[in-house]
Amino acid sequence: MANVLGKRYMCEKCGTEVLCNKAGSGALECCEGEMKLKEAKPLPSSD
Amino acid sequence: MNTVNFISIPGSIAPEQEIVVFGQNRLTYGELNDLVARLTGVFRQQGLKPRDVLAILDTNSHLYIASYYAAAKAGLTFLPLNYRAKDPELEYMINTANARLLLAGDRYLDLVKRIHPKLNGVKCMAVGEGDGALARLADLAAKADPDETETEIEEEDVSVLMYTSGTTSLPKGVMLSFHDFTAYVTANVEMADGTERGVFLVCAPFYHIAGTTAMMTNLWTGRKMIVMPQFEPANWLELVQREKVTHAFVVPTMMKQLLDHPAFASTDFSSLTNLAYGGAPMPVAVIRRAIEAFPKNVGFVNAYGQTETTSSLTVLGPDDHRIEGTPEQVELKLKRLNSIGKPLPDVEVRVRDEDGQFLAAGQVGEIIIRTPRIMKGYAGRKDDAALADGWRATGDLGWLDEEGYIFFAGRKDDMIIRGGENIAPAEIETVLMSHPAVEEAAVIGEPSVEWGQTIKAFVVLREGRKAGAKEIQEFCKTRLASFKRPENIEFIAELPKNALGKILRKELHARQKADA
Repeated sequence: MANVLGKRYMCEKCGTEVLCNKAGSGALECCEGEMKLKEAKPLPSSD
Repeated sequence: MNTVNFISIPGSIAPEQEIVVFGQNRLTYGELNDLVARLTGVFRQQGLKPRDVLAILDTNSHLYIASYYAAAKAGLTFLPLNYRAKDPELEYMINTANARLLLAGDRYLDLVKRIHPKLNGVKCMAVGEGDGALARLADLAAKADPDETETEIEEEDVSVLMYTSGTTSLPKGVMLSFHDFTAYVTANVEMADGTERGVFLVCAPFYHIAGTTAMMTNLWTGRKMIVMPQFEPANWLELVQREKVTHAFVVPTMMKQLLDHPAFASTDFSSLTNLAYGGAPMPVAVIRRAIEAFPKNVGFVNAYGQTETTSSLTVLGPDDHRIEGTPEQVELKLKRLNSIGKPLPDVEVRVRDEDGQFLAAGQVGEIIIRTPRIMKGYAGRKDDAALADGWRATGDLGWLDEEGYIFFAGRKDDMIIRGGENIAPAEIETVLMSHPAVEEAAVIGEPSVEWGQTIKAFVVLREGRKAGAKEIQEFCKTRLASFKRPENIEFIAELPKNALGKILRKELHARQKADA
């Protein structure tokens, strides 16, 4: 899956988290596996 | 990560997007990043090194925001000072933090001159026009070359040192790390992507956690910030209409001032979708009035949190503020307007008793929480609230209902013990404020030889309404257990409060002692 701008990706093995600040067609890998997309759960916005 | 990325990454994606508005100043991400780079240069020229402390004493402005991000970029610790603090409190904060540079707004120049002899060699600079004696930050920034070097910080380095309002004791310096803010912001809002994400009106002071996190979440997510120097109801209403504000945060006293303002009725609120409130308990009468008075497009959010936990822990969302449905649903919703809602996704909440046992629904105890964004600690003093397994005692009393809604029942320190019975003042205050003639009420314990403490209520009557102590005591009779009824009622013109509208109970205690 291509990387998406502004999304966080997490390695389920070592816990590394990365943030994509420019999208591209590649897919991130860490610890020999694909990194999983981590969704922010937007607040009902208190600030 | 370094929090300067909250503006530099969105800035690389959407440099032309307008993001900060303060009076006549309208800055795009590109312009904000340029200003930050220049200020970073200024701070480094002043000899400030990573982990040095930069203090600021001023009302909100675009320069305040830029100073924070420049401090972050240079790896400094930012100390936003409460501009309502008294001289000895300011001396205490500046000296114990060991601040190296103090940025002072025009309104505070005389104050700074007055306390300067007592400060430990801090350099001063003017944020505004200045008085001719001090160097002006804006002049230095205009002359400085943009400094694009971002200091490599450690996640646990202190980004903001924030002294809490201290309603009960000397202010405590809460150390919030780069990690704490990054965890809060990235877990709760999406990063900017160049699309419109709305307009946020900020009126909470930046020295308060709600103001500080506002300048991070909104800039990270691409929501334009309209900055008010400080709250003023006519200006707030005018800005909502003119800038087509979508999001805002107010404290309860501000909400009431807005509702009471003559311009309220003629203000166009059609853009406003999200009006959050917090900072102090909201009287149910005020929020009910707000729900009635604002148009239906306005969704209300009640936020509960602490400085020590990097802002919000729980929220009561817009759906819970829509008072509709069957009579049973309406009754339940009205009851839940007293609630502080449910925990955010990265927060766990429990209620425990004195022995540390978790309590079942309906039982009042201390609220304890667990989240990855608990402060690093207090500056120069021990943190007594840290518990085993990452839990933290909030010092707040509360209870959960069957569905996990949390209800706030006052500060643990304010608990009244009458003849061995624990009584939370908030419970009595809620009853008193449901009396039609009562505007506000605060309850404290009065020393008593017979009972240890008895209950004293300070009551503010609504304008034009009358009620005697007897009548109010009768009213309490059918609504409170006998040991919870106020034995002594004193009518006063207004309750003493801090800047955020939190009741200053120590002043009520002092008043009571003076009368005794």
